[in-house]
Amino acid sequence: MAHQKTTSALTPEQLLGPLNDVEQKYAPKELYVAGAMEIPLPTPRAAIVGSRKPSLNGTEAAREIARRLVKNGVIVVSGLAEGIDTVAHRTAIQDGGRTIAVLGTPLNRVYPRSNFELQEMIKRDHLVISQFPNGMPTARQHFIFRNRTMALISNATIIVEAKDDSGSLHQGWEALRLGRPLFIWKAVLDDQSLAKPKKMLEYGAMRLTEPDEVFEFLPSQDRVIEITE
Amino acid sequence: MLLPELEYGALLSYSPHGSSTQAQRSRNLMLLLKQDGSFQRPANPPILVSQRVAETVRQNRGMFTSFFRSDTILVPTPKSSLMQPGTLWVPQRLATALLQCGLGRQVAQMLERVRPVPKAALSRPENRPLPQQHYDSMQVQKLLSDPSNILLIDDIITRGATLLGAASRLAEAFPKAEIRAFAAMRAISTENEFQQVYSPATGKIILRRAQGDTLRRP
Repeated sequence: MAHQKTTSALTPEQLLGPLNDVEQKYAPKELYVAGAMEIPLPTPRAAIVGSRKPSLNGTEAAREIARRLVKNGVIVVSGLAEGIDTVAHRTAIQDGGRTIAVLGTPLNRVYPRSNFELQEMIKRDHLVISQFPNGMPTARQHFIFRNRTMALISNATIIVEAKDDSGSLHQGWEALRLGRPLFIWKAVLDDQSLAKPKKMLEYGAMRLTEPDEVFEFLPSQDRVIEITE
Repeated sequence: MLLPELEYGALLSYSPHGSSTQAQRSRNLMLLLKQDGSFQRPANPPILVSQRVAETVRQNRGMFTSFFRSDTILVPTPKSSLMQPGTLWVPQRLATALLQCGLGRQVAQMLERVRPVPKAALSRPENRPLPQQHYDSMQVQKLLSDPSNILLIDDIITRGATLLGAASRLAEAFPKAEIRAFAAMRAISTENEFQQVYSPATGKIILRRAQGDTLRRP
């Protein structure tokens, strides 16, 4: 197991281990990574995603979920966007945990600019991942591709706050397609103005009422190597 | 109309609540199975769980002789939720891997979930969906010729409510067929009854008509 120290290009299999054909479908050919985390990535990893303009309750929920994940040795994955993503990364770092940022830009760009310092910190002490080579202009749909990749990298996805047109829902659908656990925070489902997150329940998403409910669905750090031993 | 009982087989077991190393390892394997992940073995190339399960069943064919006959149609069991096209469907992948190992004659996606039911894993035992709910939420697509042997394939069996509901649907559509069920893993809910992951077993799912639920033995 190697520790990543500098920027390098890896295949998804090098980063995550072997993929089945459903996982391979939208997996990028290469992933550019920078940071100080073991490769292949350690488990468990859970994504916390949500609104760029969160409510106070949403912010507090993201903070509490990140805290509980860190306390239980879970790596917090998010997208370095404003709002819920930033809260998730910062809480993981402040609580002494580990975090992975999956970018919609190449590694040599920062979006939003306000997260320059955060991205540098994650790049130095944790891990930053992008599927876009340095120099590639950023397009709107890159953030949707990024969300699919984040679903692939994470053993589970938690949507903390999201509107019907939120990019987080793209990640949710991809997690369901991959057969990964998808949790939707209770406040999202209790919001009568939203229809799309509720629809996801019919397709296998789970209501998250307490952060600890996630742990039953996450693997431990031990790798399984055989069934007959 | 629900069947009174259903013969089942399972290759592996896991402990949902046990705290021993073996129990924790069994839960990791269960999670790996649910995503059809791969074993990364130091001296061998990686292999998908579905393929490894199928290989191991073939090696233990004697125990499951009545399950995998030359004319057996393998039918993947629907998930509890609805499914978008292209979604990972582990029972279908297990069925395909078993067929590739020479077990059974054909994989046929004959059962479809038309209404979602609550996930058993998220429900307290008393609130888990009953076999009648599974029966009511599935529909059968008939084949051109009626099968004589059907084997329902699932990833996990807990109390067997899903499989009994599914088998009852198939029995109604194919009254002359012999129907059995096979799951890669069975849950051992009582902590001290769990011994190890690899524990091939055959037994019965029994309908308790008065309660409307099922018992699994063993």
